[in-house]
Amino acid sequence: MQILLSGQLLFAALVTGAVYVLVAFGLNLVYGTLRLLNVAHGEIVMVGAYTSFWLFTLAHISPLISLFAAIALAAALGAAIYLGLVRRLFASPRLLQRLEANSLLLFFAFSIVLQNVAALLFQPTPRAYQYLDRVIQLGNASVTENRLVILIVAVVLCIAIILFLRLHIYGLAIKALIQHREAASVVGIDVEKVQLLSFCLGFGLAALAGSLLSMTEQISPFMGFPYTIAAFVVVILGGLGNLVGGMVASLLLGVIETYGVAFTSSSLRSVLIYGIFILVLMIRPQGLLGSRMIVR
Amino acid sequence: MRRPLALAAWLGLIAAAVLVPPLLGDYGVAVALSLAMWVALAESWIVLSGMTGYVSLGHAVFYGLGAYVGVLLWNTVPSGFAIIAAGIASGGFAVIIGYPALRVRGPYFVMLTFGVAELVKYVVIDLEAGLGVFSRLILGGPSVIVLYYVMLCLAAAATAITFLVGRSRFGYALRAIRENEAAAETIGIAVGRFKLAAFALSAVIPGMVGAVAVARSTYFEPLSAFDPVVSFTMVTMAVIGGSDDLRGPLLGAAFLVGLSELLWANAPQIYMIILGVLLAIFVLFAPEGIAGRLFVPARRAVS
Repeated sequence: MQILLSGQLLFAALVTGAVYVLVAFGLNLVYGTLRLLNVAHGEIVMVGAYTSFWLFTLAHISPLISLFAAIALAAALGAAIYLGLVRRLFASPRLLQRLEANSLLLFFAFSIVLQNVAALLFQPTPRAYQYLDRVIQLGNASVTENRLVILIVAVVLCIAIILFLRLHIYGLAIKALIQHREAASVVGIDVEKVQLLSFCLGFGLAALAGSLLSMTEQISPFMGFPYTIAAFVVVILGGLGNLVGGMVASLLLGVIETYGVAFTSSSLRSVLIYGIFILVLMIRPQGLLGSRMIVR
Repeated sequence: MRRPLALAAWLGLIAAAVLVPPLLGDYGVAVALSLAMWVALAESWIVLSGMTGYVSLGHAVFYGLGAYVGVLLWNTVPSGFAIIAAGIASGGFAVIIGYPALRVRGPYFVMLTFGVAELVKYVVIDLEAGLGVFSRLILGGPSVIVLYYVMLCLAAAATAITFLVGRSRFGYALRAIRENEAAAETIGIAVGRFKLAAFALSAVIPGMVGAVAVARSTYFEPLSAFDPVVSFTMVTMAVIGGSDDLRGPLLGAAFLVGLSELLWANAPQIYMIILGVLLAIFVLFAPEGIAGRLFVPARRAVS
């Protein structure tokens, strides 16, 4: 009981939630602007994690620097996927007819390819490295420095994203597209360009999250899917394109996960995540925002 | 003219399949067994996902449950009962899970099926760990040849079910749901019940297949029984072959089983990469699948 009330768990929940905020916002962006669910989102987290892992292991580059490389790599990947695959889906009327099923199969294929390319290149065994793992005292909680860094970066980024969406012309365009696609193009927004941008941004955020959590978690080629699931839960709970809602939902999920595991056992972690996911989907099939979410 | 020809082709195929053990030896039986298994799985998948458009990425859950029920019962009841019980268990699970799940549409349904399969996988893992069991063995099971014929029967049954459903009012109703669910409901199709029936129907055979497959491998281990790769392979076979055509899964399964014989043992990752790339290519450039490509022009030439 003592440990449940300590700041230790609360801090762990905050860090988990902070990672989910970043992952989920990327998914939210892509889903919000294109209405396509990227089930390969977690694999981008994996790509980011491996980028930082290798740059640290081979060249001793701090993950705090290599995260920019991870973002750039993922954004390039996003642009390639958008221009090479996704645009084709929209271009063909026959594919557009069953867009959802086709796009899911496509992203699913993409995630399988990414997982197995990673497994082929880096071996399927989990890996980890140590960076900033000194323990410091924070109130009555002892935390490692890297977790503190994750939390700080996530907070700074959230503020930056909110400002970007409020103030920058492209941020406003993204918000417009999330709210109403047709209306957005009527008022002169270059839909193609904004979609490409949000694709790159979404991928970049996922890779950033991966890069950060590679400091604290074991990484493996198959680490991604639980993050896709977590992001999906957050997007549904928090609401489409709603960053503040997403932040609240991320923290909620972080708290549920951390405390749930602390109350039971760590072997139940996956059961807990998938259980929450299924409950959320079954109880609120259209999400908390209601039917607006699935209207194209 | 075409009807008797098609019938002859099917009969020839069945005859060839029956003659595999005496003619082709142990390796031939092993490959034919896995081919029959995948045909049964992919044909079953079509009943739900090909016809209603509700794409399931979690069909491994039915296969895995069947394997679990099979291994629990195999040494206690006659093996025929174990296989039937596995089918009933999977079908029953489909009804229970399908009732809430099928209200969820589009990408949500797809994610949900995947999530359910993963959840059941981890529940079984925790259950087995709680019981202190790490893998279960089947001792003294039937010979591979017997299992092959059982699997062949399941493949034939799955193909027959897909054929009959495709021709029936039920099948047309399912296709109507795929094309426009609201319109289907408006013209009086009991959408909810029909989807549930299709879901259950597409789960029974995979359950039975799981029980036979576990007898073939002689051991049960949750991570491999509920492996998402099983779901993925089913989907890819059906999509590559053609997911609204009886012959599609047959072609897709034959193609991928051949590919996996070449690659799976030595280079599983390369096999999976090829699978992913093929799936993407077929979705983008030939959504009608090999069957659609091969047979449609020929049909036009005849008529």
